[in-house]
Amino acid sequence: MNYDREPHGVYFMIDNKSFYASVESVAREDDPLESVIVVMSEAKNTNGGLILAASPKAKELFGITNVSRCRDLPDDSRLKVVPPRMNLYIKKNLQINEIFTQFVADEDCYPYSIDESILDMTKSWRLFGRTPLEVAHRMQTAVHDKLGLWTTVGIGENPVQAKLALDLFAKHDNDRIGELTYETFPQKIWPITNLVSVWSIGHRTAAHLERVGIHSMDALAHSNPYELKKEFGIIGTQLLALAWGIDHSQLSKLLTPNDKRWGNSQVLARDYLVQREIETVIKEIGSQVASRMRHHQQQTGCVSLMIGFSYASAETDGRSGFAHSMRIDTTDSPDQINQYLVYLFRKTWDGEGIRNIAVSLSHLSANDGLQLDLFKDPHAQIKQNLMIRVLDKIHDQFGNTALIPASSLLHGATMLERSSLVGGHNGGNSFD
Amino acid sequence: MGVIVLIETYDQAAKVILERLEKDFLRQSRTIYQMLIVRDRFDEAYNFFLEVKPKNHREKSIPLHTLENYDLGYLESVVHSLRKQTQITMQFKGFGELVWPQAQTRISKG
Repeated sequence: MNYDREPHGVYFMIDNKSFYASVESVAREDDPLESVIVVMSEAKNTNGGLILAASPKAKELFGITNVSRCRDLPDDSRLKVVPPRMNLYIKKNLQINEIFTQFVADEDCYPYSIDESILDMTKSWRLFGRTPLEVAHRMQTAVHDKLGLWTTVGIGENPVQAKLALDLFAKHDNDRIGELTYETFPQKIWPITNLVSVWSIGHRTAAHLERVGIHSMDALAHSNPYELKKEFGIIGTQLLALAWGIDHSQLSKLLTPNDKRWGNSQVLARDYLVQREIETVIKEIGSQVASRMRHHQQQTGCVSLMIGFSYASAETDGRSGFAHSMRIDTTDSPDQINQYLVYLFRKTWDGEGIRNIAVSLSHLSANDGLQLDLFKDPHAQIKQNLMIRVLDKIHDQFGNTALIPASSLLHGATMLERSSLVGGHNGGNSFD
Repeated sequence: MGVIVLIETYDQAAKVILERLEKDFLRQSRTIYQMLIVRDRFDEAYNFFLEVKPKNHREKSIPLHTLENYDLGYLESVVHSLRKQTQITMQFKGFGELVWPQAQTRISKG
């Protein structure tokens, strides 16, 4: 394989070792590598508790994995359980990225998730050491000195190599650094037979590969490109590129999806059977999504509602739920959007128990003023519109719970309880 | 970025801590309750936690408050105010050899 014409850069993929658990350890002056700590979300809809993160020692001693349930957690006195504080983790993530930007230009630092970032070090790594490895060490030390957290670094000549180096090697390395190059790729990656461990290969793809006789990365790299494409479609060519460590993505060219949408979903704390209660929650979600959309000065031309049934209902019904969309006259009014949502709900719902609700708004367009409806009283329309703006202002200034519909106080409403959550989990004490 | 200065008197801080403490300080038998006060040298802040340790069961550690004012004299006033209102054992971590500015005793000794 001739790699001469492939892009040769220096990319770092950095993640934080057991991020949430480490942040909580440091806040308690514990060593994040030695403490036995578990971050558990005890929001009402998690059925007693969901494990969001476990420290390396907790994983080692008790075999805890993320997203295990409370019932899998041993009741051992060595174990310390703490509630999540999402706002604190966001703050720490920003601090970490701030340290990274001492090593790269702002535009070469790409936050990938709450605890992962991709850095394009191509232009700047020489300023900080003789080898990329040395620079990685220096960055780890900088983060540890300033925040007490340990980071793991994958180094590659392109983003996919960096990601694979991180997942497959850095996480098991004593220095928490892994390196991949075009040259070392065959020797390090091809022997892998556990295909799911390779980033972007999921269970279904792995099973599919096994079915067609591909049991290792070596076999994948040496399979016939035309047959791969025939069997897997465009993904087949991507898989082949992956097996050779090839990645043409240019991070600086951001992708903009064609049809952006705003949405929100929630898992309910119990099965909902009463129509009024379900509709209350649908309206709450609808209002919240509409408000987010209005903050981006947009209006919607299509509303979608997804309803997931409870286990019992799904069993008797055979369906796991339903989803419907409808085109509407563009609007940003929560009342109108909610009317459509309730209509969609009533049209299909037949008394099933409900556990999941998701709402989304798409076909977005810029909101450049109010389009009056010829057949309705113009004064009423303008007044309605003004009222929405005033409500938005009040919510911006005093918080979303400053003024709420009375229905949010009814039995079954979830908005007040969820208002302090971040990403569905406890944000932390309100003024820490 | 602008710096937001939250002015909180030591009495207000103590009140917030006590309110949150009462919620989980259930005084169950065979359970150790402690207030953990940590000097966070990274964030330059003092973190307060309630540690609940039921005998032979896993332990819980609940965040109570964070003092952004890194002044030891301020912390001493908060702790003094707390001690007037609760008997809970306080454990200090991360203070090394530091001494209370008023009382002139070693902080880590409690």
